[in-house]
Amino acid sequence: MSIEKDIVSRAKKGDGAAFAQLYEEHLDRIYRYVYLKVGNRTEAEDLTQEVFVKALEAITTYKWRNLPFSSWLFRIAHNLVVDYFRKQGKVEKVALDDDIVLPSKSNPALTAELALEIEALAKDIENLSPAQREVILLRFSAELSTAEVASFLAKNTGTVKALQHNAIVALRKMSSSDK
Amino acid sequence: MNQKLEDILDKCLGQMLDGESIEACLNAYPEQASELAPLLKTSRAFIRNSSAIQPAPEFKARVHSRLRAMSYAKQEKAERSKRTPAWHRKWLLAIASVLVVLLVSVGTVAASTSALPGKSLYPIKLAGEQVRLTLAFSDIDKAKLHIQFSERRVIEIAEMASQGKNDTIFALTGQFINHLQQVNEIDNVDELMGNGVKAPAATSTLPEETEAFDERGNKEELRIMLSNSREESLLALENALEKAPQSTKANLQQAIEIATREYDKALYNLEKHSN
Repeated sequence: MSIEKDIVSRAKKGDGAAFAQLYEEHLDRIYRYVYLKVGNRTEAEDLTQEVFVKALEAITTYKWRNLPFSSWLFRIAHNLVVDYFRKQGKVEKVALDDDIVLPSKSNPALTAELALEIEALAKDIENLSPAQREVILLRFSAELSTAEVASFLAKNTGTVKALQHNAIVALRKMSSSDK
Repeated sequence: MNQKLEDILDKCLGQMLDGESIEACLNAYPEQASELAPLLKTSRAFIRNSSAIQPAPEFKARVHSRLRAMSYAKQEKAERSKRTPAWHRKWLLAIASVLVVLLVSVGTVAASTSALPGKSLYPIKLAGEQVRLTLAFSDIDKAKLHIQFSERRVIEIAEMASQGKNDTIFALTGQFINHLQQVNEIDNVDELMGNGVKAPAATSTLPEETEAFDERGNKEELRIMLSNSREESLLALENALEKAPQSTKANLQQAIEIATREYDKALYNLEKHSN
């Protein structure tokens, strides 16, 4: 039994410490994925919290299907984001707020530069097609493998690789024209 | 050719995500290096910038506390139902009733009502609560007791916060959630059974019409009780927060957020079912 499978199995039996381990492991990536979709820190925090609350409530129904546990969490996150946009009557748009949390504030110049780069990145993501955007976010922000992304999006790996390639070419062109 | 580049790019990206350098990949595929290099650099910039997006530490701590309290609540609920399987309950009721009579006679239960977690009388206090819940005549009475006991947990949370006992705060917050969820569940059972939802005929005074009226009255009473409880409990927790040592403030703040949400959920359900 893999380590993750063992932790998930303990969490299913009500072991709070095991669930906390899963939370520690996946929180950053879920937050990043949600943040890059909604572009607002408060909303991203609320939705991320909701992902884990829902996961804890439903963990007993979770079935292991030879996919990492994170696929299940990203499915919950994806559904919550879709619901969020539907309730708001908005289309998915990645305009980031200014309230972003960056890892180090010790060097204000570097932090400001990084914030600008992230803002540019968000604008570039917005210009990708929805399918390219989803692939790039799942692959780079959520760090899922190509096979996991394919399973998540119900596409074959060849399609995912093509979308990934086209997205990176498009991002390359956008970043060149920014300069 | 294009397909091949997509495959190679994917392989290199996988390696990059695992910490390999761009150069290692370019060295492995010298024929495609000129095409790959700009794409890998763009990808590296994307990965670096997006990994800089991190949740705030306060937010992480807040979610952690909430999940911990929820886990306690789930555990407590599971243990309680494991402890008292359905076929045992009648026997337990009989034994507990005798015990209560005996204990009341020596004033133990009465003395235990102000007992705090960690004290010898505290288990008696909790056992007394279980007995009262088991002896409650109706679902409404049970709901009232759950509200009353949730207030006790709030008092205990405030006291434990002042003593710096974070672990006990989590456990009590979990029990608090369970009490208010029981109020919701009782109300849902009523709804499922159709109590108070049958539309009476225009001029009749059938018994079910009177029952429906009583049910509405009971729910209104429950709503007022819950609403007062919300006000008092939140005030007690806010006061405790002011005086609490720094080490328990974050968990107390989390308990306030949980209490607010659980009260609002219970009130919303009651109001929804009353209409």
